[in-house]
Amino acid sequence: MVTAKKTVSKKAAKKIVVSSLHGDINADTIRVRMYRIGFGDCFLISLPVMKRSGSEDSHYHVLIDCGVHFSGDINTMDKVIGNIAAITGGKIAALIATHSHQDHISGFGRFSEKFSQFDIDEVWLPWCENPADPLALKLQRKHAALAEMLDEHFNAQRTINAPAANTPQRNAAVAAVVNLSGNQKALLLLRSGFDVGAEVRYLGAGEVLRDPAAIEGLTVRVLGPPRDQQFLSKMNPPKDQRYLRLGAGGGVNMDNALRPFPAKWITDTGVENYRGPVLTAAEKEELKEVLADTDLDNLAFALDQVKNNTSLVTLFVFRGKYLLFPGDAQYGNWKWWLDQEEAEDILPRISFLKVAHHGSHNATPKDALERMGEGQLAAMVSTQSVPWQSIPRVPLMRRLSEKATNGVVRSDWLAIDDAPAPLAHTEPPMPKKLPANFRKGAFWYDYLLKLK
Amino acid sequence: MAKVDKSTYDTPSYRPLKVYAFDPSHGRSLGNYMTVNVRYEGVEPGPVGEYLEVIDYDASNDCYYEPVDLNDAAVMLGGGLEPSGSDPRFHQQMVYAVASETIRRFEFALGRKIKWGFRADTKGKRRLRIFPHGMQEANAYYDRDLRALVFGYFPASELDAGANLPGQTVFTCLSHDIIVHETTHALIDGQRIYFLESTGPDSLAFHEAFADIVALFQHFSHKEALLEMIQRTGGLIYRLHVDPEVNPGREGALAQFELSTSNPLVQLARQFGEALGTRAALRSALGSQPNSKDLDKLYEPHDRGAILVAAVFDAFFSIYIRRTRDLMRIARAAGALINPGDIHPDLANRLAGEAAKTAEHFSNICIRALDYCPPVDILFGDFLRALVTADYDLVPADPYGYRAALIEAFRLRGIRPENVTSYSEGALRWCAPEDLKGMPAPPCEGLEFDILRPSTSEQSEKNAKTLINYANKNRDILGLSLNEPIQAHSFHPVHRVGPDGRLKVEVVAELVQQRATPFDPTESGSPRFFFRGGSTLVIDQEPGKEGDVRYAIQKRLGQDDMQNERLIRQRKYQEHIHSGMAQTTYMDEHPLEHLSKSRRARSMTFNLIHRGY
Ligand SMILES: [Zn+2]
Ligand SMILES: [Zn+2]
Repeated sequence: MVTAKKTVSKKAAKKIVVSSLHGDINADTIRVRMYRIGFGDCFLISLPVMKRSGSEDSHYHVLIDCGVHFSGDINTMDKVIGNIAAITGGKIAALIATHSHQDHISGFGRFSEKFSQFDIDEVWLPWCENPADPLALKLQRKHAALAEMLDEHFNAQRTINAPAANTPQRNAAVAAVVNLSGNQKALLLLRSGFDVGAEVRYLGAGEVLRDPAAIEGLTVRVLGPPRDQQFLSKMNPPKDQRYLRLGAGGGVNMDNALRPFPAKWITDTGVENYRGPVLTAAEKEELKEVLADTDLDNLAFALDQVKNNTSLVTLFVFRGKYLLFPGDAQYGNWKWWLDQEEAEDILPRISFLKVAHHGSHNATPKDALERMGEGQLAAMVSTQSVPWQSIPRVPLMRRLSEKATNGVVRSDWLAIDDAPAPLAHTEPPMPKKLPANFRKGAFWYDYLLKLK
Repeated sequence: MAKVDKSTYDTPSYRPLKVYAFDPSHGRSLGNYMTVNVRYEGVEPGPVGEYLEVIDYDASNDCYYEPVDLNDAAVMLGGGLEPSGSDPRFHQQMVYAVASETIRRFEFALGRKIKWGFRADTKGKRRLRIFPHGMQEANAYYDRDLRALVFGYFPASELDAGANLPGQTVFTCLSHDIIVHETTHALIDGQRIYFLESTGPDSLAFHEAFADIVALFQHFSHKEALLEMIQRTGGLIYRLHVDPEVNPGREGALAQFELSTSNPLVQLARQFGEALGTRAALRSALGSQPNSKDLDKLYEPHDRGAILVAAVFDAFFSIYIRRTRDLMRIARAAGALINPGDIHPDLANRLAGEAAKTAEHFSNICIRALDYCPPVDILFGDFLRALVTADYDLVPADPYGYRAALIEAFRLRGIRPENVTSYSEGALRWCAPEDLKGMPAPPCEGLEFDILRPSTSEQSEKNAKTLINYANKNRDILGLSLNEPIQAHSFHPVHRVGPDGRLKVEVVAELVQQRATPFDPTESGSPRFFFRGGSTLVIDQEPGKEGDVRYAIQKRLGQDDMQNERLIRQRKYQEHIHSGMAQTTYMDEHPLEHLSKSRRARSMTFNLIHRGY
């Protein structure tokens, strides 16, 4: 259960120490490995164990997310998990699931048997996924109900070939709803600690973990999601609209449709004694345009944003180095901690950034990026232009490549059979030679952060 | 026998119509059924009148509901249809009556006929269309492009239905406060069309706050609702242990001391917050301890607007206490018990009367201040200066200290006007051009207005020319940029009668300039937006001072450089706004571009803001 304060001594006994299988990192290096998994996130962070005389170099491993969007899958997940097993020797100190989107957790469900064979010390989830928190539960139920309604509605409209079903906006909205679906199994496993006795912790902004999962020398500051009342009120997209639903016989029913008055009040403007105002056909269209359909797309986006904002944002502080893993946090989640005083202190010290939400527009506040790194920033973007062309955002990538003087890599630079290449105009252009301290693997990039 | 000539009847001056003072969920409780005496006009079924056209078309169900005929004898004899949730014709009557009353209050306060901010319809008529059942949605909004107020209806939530039964239909058009709120959005838009542009954290928040302020005071000027609340709570304006002479000089502090949840005015104000749906911010801000830090933290338009509403409410409350202090003292001296349910009806009646009167004063002061606002990019602090200046111009003496109360309340809520040296009344009043530039502006001569009639179109054209010529010659002194063309957006004579019976005539003119400016100066090929500046001129028309520019309320355009704080602030805010919008994540075009060119960009903000996305 939730145990924010855990003592080191209790854990020290079952300290997980694993020899590194890769010779290129030693006791003075943190390695961040970004896998190309499609549209999704999978990061393995390896932190060196304090070297004692005579011992070999060894590392603790933290896995952050393992998921891919159904429409952006490039079929590498199998290999990715194999690689994780090989690198870690099956021992993971902390496994973090930032938020319950398909593109972050689908792997935990799909490859549940494999994960059950891992030796996992702790599982970290955002407090919003805590089944014992009544508020979290209420939000989850509401969001699930909304997602289901949207899914049905989009389906029904596609079936009857409604004009709204064939717009680029709708495609984007459908992909957002898909991302919310099919995550139950993964969540169940995560919450149960994969039935391997892993301790499950639900975390929220403001918590500070010292030597968590018995990782000596690591401090984790949890920067999101906030539990703040104001923030929570924004997690409440409304659901009073009407929805279409496919009926048993293939027909389409209107769900939630209200007829506010009995039929006797409905009047025909064509009849002789009607003397009220009448709209032209064009005026009616104008009015209808404002209504339901586009709004349901927006509702899908709102729901997507809400879920992204439940992202568990962790700042790793290890021997003076700051590494930020914001999951898919969007503006609302960021804003909370940027408003705290410590943000001033933290931002310039960040030396590694996992770019939030695959480099989308709303996920890296400009003024936060401007204040980051002070000339010492490296960044990784796990991204791909399928299923959403607008991701990653070009100007953001451009600015990032200027700011991150220690280098940026994008996962979609890795050529993989049948996987989409970056769009022609995307930034930054792929360099001939990787920046210093970046290494390329078969389906991953490594960043080696030297501690000395 | 000679036929009676119908014209021998005088035209009635008003048309009584029944409405809910709150909304149907309050049932028949005292004070919830009320009659509005709507200024008389001939109306067609709808109702359709001079300013308003109620069209009961339901776009979700694609049907029309039977329109009410207010001229039907059966309707007229009853003073309008009885309040009813199930008869759409009553709904039409209510939106018509409440919106008409709101318009009347604006015209009274502004001293002129109001104008709408949207284009005329195909028949050349400029009427605000009202769709009382426009769609199934928990939302209501003003939309300039639709030239309409659109009210939604929706099933009461199964989970938190509040006072409604779960599953029952909730009609936003039956909430008195929502109707006033939305009508006010349309009315502000008619006076200041650029206030709908979100140029900074204050701009849309101001729109929201102003709409709430007008709704709040309209609410408070209904004596019956107040009376009921005062009787229920025992009129606990004073806590009993407070020495009535405490701190007579520090009204702000005194008012704070008197805030308690059982206070009828605070209760009514909170109830008002409830009526406006999920408006926790307003509910908690009204009658709460001011926190001057809130302005640095709250950016969502409703949350931020709540600070402004609360400041105005605090001032209202201080004045109310001042106006009723003697009454309370007399009552207490006479040994009257002031307990819930126990207050003497005469006292309750007097208290309600004072509250209603004070509410009307505040409503007028606030509406009048609109004329003294800059033409673009309003800040809360500008509004304070407008309030102080407008009220000073009309009521220089201020025996009850309305202005001092407003200043103190704004100060306590952390609202700091820019470029003023202190919170003194003198420092807060807008300046004449000579105070800013060191030399007086020459008089603006040749404006022609008819005191008794609205201007003819020839007069308007001529006046526009005169103004532009004048402005062109005096750009710098009036705060206008030297290069961009000047548009005279609106100019109108204002007639007001002060409490001393003096008739004041002034001309208020809005001059606006704009420049296409990149959203992001560091990004090559960045899309552009119109950065606007301008001045509101208040020009004296009193004999002997004709043409004197009393105030030039300026928002300078400036250059695109680091000195231009206004531009920097606006850019930062635009960035903030679209960063928070869920839709922009998956949009291919530049989100700012989308924001600026979307057909519905402006009104969309209301649509979405009111929905709470
Ligand atoms: Zn994601
Ligand atoms: Zn996500």
